[in-house]
Amino acid sequence: MGDHFSAFSFVDRIRDYTRRGPHARGYFTIPDGLTAFPSCLVAEAVGQLASWVAMDHIDFRGRPVAALALETRFLRDVKPGETLELGVELESCDDEAVSYRGWADVDGARALELIDCLGPMLPLDEFDSPLVLKERFDVLCGAGAPAGRFHGINGFHVEPGVLVPGKSATAKLYVPEAAPFFHDHFPRRPVFPATLLLNEMIQLALNAAGGNGSGTLVAERMTNVKVRSFTPPGQALDLTAELTVSGGSAIVASLTARAEGRMVATAQVDLSRRNG
Amino acid sequence: MAQMEITKDEINAVYPTVAETIADALGCDIGEVKPDASLIEDLGAESIDFLDMVFRLERAFKVKIPRGKIVENARGTLTEAEFEQKGLVTDVGLAQLKSYLSEVAADRFRTPLKVKDIPRLFTPETFCKLVIAAQRQGQAAA
Repeated sequence: MGDHFSAFSFVDRIRDYTRRGPHARGYFTIPDGLTAFPSCLVAEAVGQLASWVAMDHIDFRGRPVAALALETRFLRDVKPGETLELGVELESCDDEAVSYRGWADVDGARALELIDCLGPMLPLDEFDSPLVLKERFDVLCGAGAPAGRFHGINGFHVEPGVLVPGKSATAKLYVPEAAPFFHDHFPRRPVFPATLLLNEMIQLALNAAGGNGSGTLVAERMTNVKVRSFTPPGQALDLTAELTVSGGSAIVASLTARAEGRMVATAQVDLSRRNG
Repeated sequence: MAQMEITKDEINAVYPTVAETIADALGCDIGEVKPDASLIEDLGAESIDFLDMVFRLERAFKVKIPRGKIVENARGTLTEAEFEQKGLVTDVGLAQLKSYLSEVAADRFRTPLKVKDIPRLFTPETFCKLVIAAQRQGQAAA
């Protein structure tokens, strides 16, 4: 099985789920040996729980893909060794799309919230084996998968472009031709995960906002995420971050990712300075 | 199912919120959103944007808009077979479409019209009608 269900899988176990019901809870323990676990992967974990439940709802005919997330709140950082308590509430789910909200808690404190997300369903067998996924779903709903399967993700080659501190930044992201996570996301059709792309877009916004002022600059909220198309392995993406509001401690940046001029993803991110 | 005609007053009542929602979804200035603008040809909307607009309108108006219903609504009382044949809109279907999309200039209805090209005709007003139909359906179900 190799990297399948380990290189980019963030649900260890699903519980409190009644077949085809709208609620599910689950958890994922962040392996101890990692150096960090970015918030985008926490969002990925919540989205994956929703995805498992959505696939079950339509008997594994289709799988949702990342498309719209109207709001993501980053409430606290998480650390290796911590366990993410995941929750999702499906608002609607059919062969066309799933809409849901979800969250991740650590030790009873909310770490991340996803509000108003929608993923269109695509034929599952284009991406993975429906049978293998069904079997895995049974494992996750039963005894669960062994923890510690995820070994981290290597950094990507990002070529800085034009930086106008306090105003804007551009960069070129070179999606690798090969990486372990492509075997998991997805075995039959490798796609660069949108959450990893959004993480790079946030980093660019942080670069654009620069180091002026006191405290550490962090992403607090991401809004209007729209992923328009898949990014295959080896694709070069042009990223831009443009600060649209910058006053006091609040900074808002508009983010874009383009492939050969074609828009791939757009989003906005609210940044703020955290003291201490 | 017979459809009641949608009045201009009903459209005017929902239009400001629909226009704002479309501007948010497309990331454009609200001034660019005109009632009879083609969402695809004038405002650059793609299929994901239609999904986005419907998703946002559901939240803004607290209605349920079944995805894929836009063409079905436009079809009115016609059956699928009456409306289209081999992917092309029939003459009677075209007449129904022109009546439903009354805000769309006549010269934008190309003939023969492929069913897959119908969304190219959609305007903000089309989405007003979609919201009103969903509101009526919600009231009928209550």
